[in-house]
Amino acid sequence: MAGDIRQAAALQEMEQIIAQYPAERRYILAIMQDLQKKFNYLPKEGLQMTARHVNAPMSTVYSMATFYKAFSLVPKGRVNFKVCDGTACHIKGSQTIINEIYQCLGIKPGETTPDGEFSLETVNCLGACAIAPVLVANQKVYAKVTPAAVREIIKEHGGQINEPAVNE
Amino acid sequence: MRIKIDGIEIDVTSGETILEAARRAGIHIPTLCYHEAFGGQGICRMCIVEVKEGNRTRLVASCTYPVNGEIEVKTSTPEIERIRRNIVMLLYRRAPNSEFMKRLYEEYGRPADITPADPEESCIMCRLCVRACEKVGSHAISAVLRGTEKRISTPYDEPSPDCIGCCACAQVCPTGTIKVSTMPGKYEIWNKAFEMDRCESCGRPFVPPVILEHVRSKLGPEFTEEHLCPDCRKKKTGKIMADSHMSK
Repeated sequence: MAGDIRQAAALQEMEQIIAQYPAERRYILAIMQDLQKKFNYLPKEGLQMTARHVNAPMSTVYSMATFYKAFSLVPKGRVNFKVCDGTACHIKGSQTIINEIYQCLGIKPGETTPDGEFSLETVNCLGACAIAPVLVANQKVYAKVTPAAVREIIKEHGGQINEPAVNE
Repeated sequence: MRIKIDGIEIDVTSGETILEAARRAGIHIPTLCYHEAFGGQGICRMCIVEVKEGNRTRLVASCTYPVNGEIEVKTSTPEIERIRRNIVMLLYRRAPNSEFMKRLYEEYGRPADITPADPEESCIMCRLCVRACEKVGSHAISAVLRGTEKRISTPYDEPSPDCIGCCACAQVCPTGTIKVSTMPGKYEIWNKAFEMDRCESCGRPFVPPVILEHVRSKLGPEFTEEHLCPDCRKKKTGKIMADSHMSK
């Protein structure tokens, strides 16, 4: 019941976002950006509504939605980790951060934890190479992140950590 | 306007592509993603040619290059052949699993000894299927994802409500990647099953109603309401012709 109401409200929000734009194909991308911002992913219904609104085939809209890395077709977690994997961060060990997140939460880049709490993605460069490696949790930026710091960050955002097998 | 392709002078109208002009003059330029029904897409780059304008030469995709001035074109040079071999090699590495690609790979002298990425893959991403689907007017399939993951599919890989089962995609596909599985009275394409209506004369199942609907909407008043399969339609037309002949 509560789910139905939430779903109805979400649909209404999608409609509102889409109705702000003229019914022209060139606004598909802008609409999708707004949807992504609002819902943290592109809901299927939202894409269908967009297609109907601008009178474009669903296949075209879906093609665009899957092309851009900025869009996600699966719901992002309440806390979304963006780990920078640009050149500087890569050299400074971004992979160890990604591994540590996998150890703690069991998610790889592009995945969301089953409880919908955390998701992880890699980005190519955040333009903050001086403080590499960088991790962004929602809007908050963490500098010179180490695996130990990752565990603190997860706790800070209310995450339960799967204690990894003790090494040596 | 006159241009020269491989030393042969050809009259072209402004805006005509090099490829069209060459084909008209009987000069062969290899292509993969070109189909005369859809025009050039400029995807595969097999049709690359050397264009000389004044004393500047450069390589262009002949299927999308419109002729707008006096140019000299060479359809084959060592450089172009090298590029074409490279394209074939890369495509074969991506999608070796079709007679079409195997033949092409042999034709180009097995460029480089390579291990295909996925031996089962057969799609060369020419997008002819996507163009065919657009042309028919159903827009059910498109290229999804990007980079090495890019492939052709319906939205969410689900049976598309837009698909009318015309199978134009499967028909135009050079590598036979798009499969139509036929069963008694129906067939399946893109995970969507289509039940066929029966011919009112011979009773053979021949077309799903959704295609008839589509054709009706395109043809308008020209659409005949007869429910005849191609064979019976032929027979009927033949009979009408024969009768009109007899009565004379």
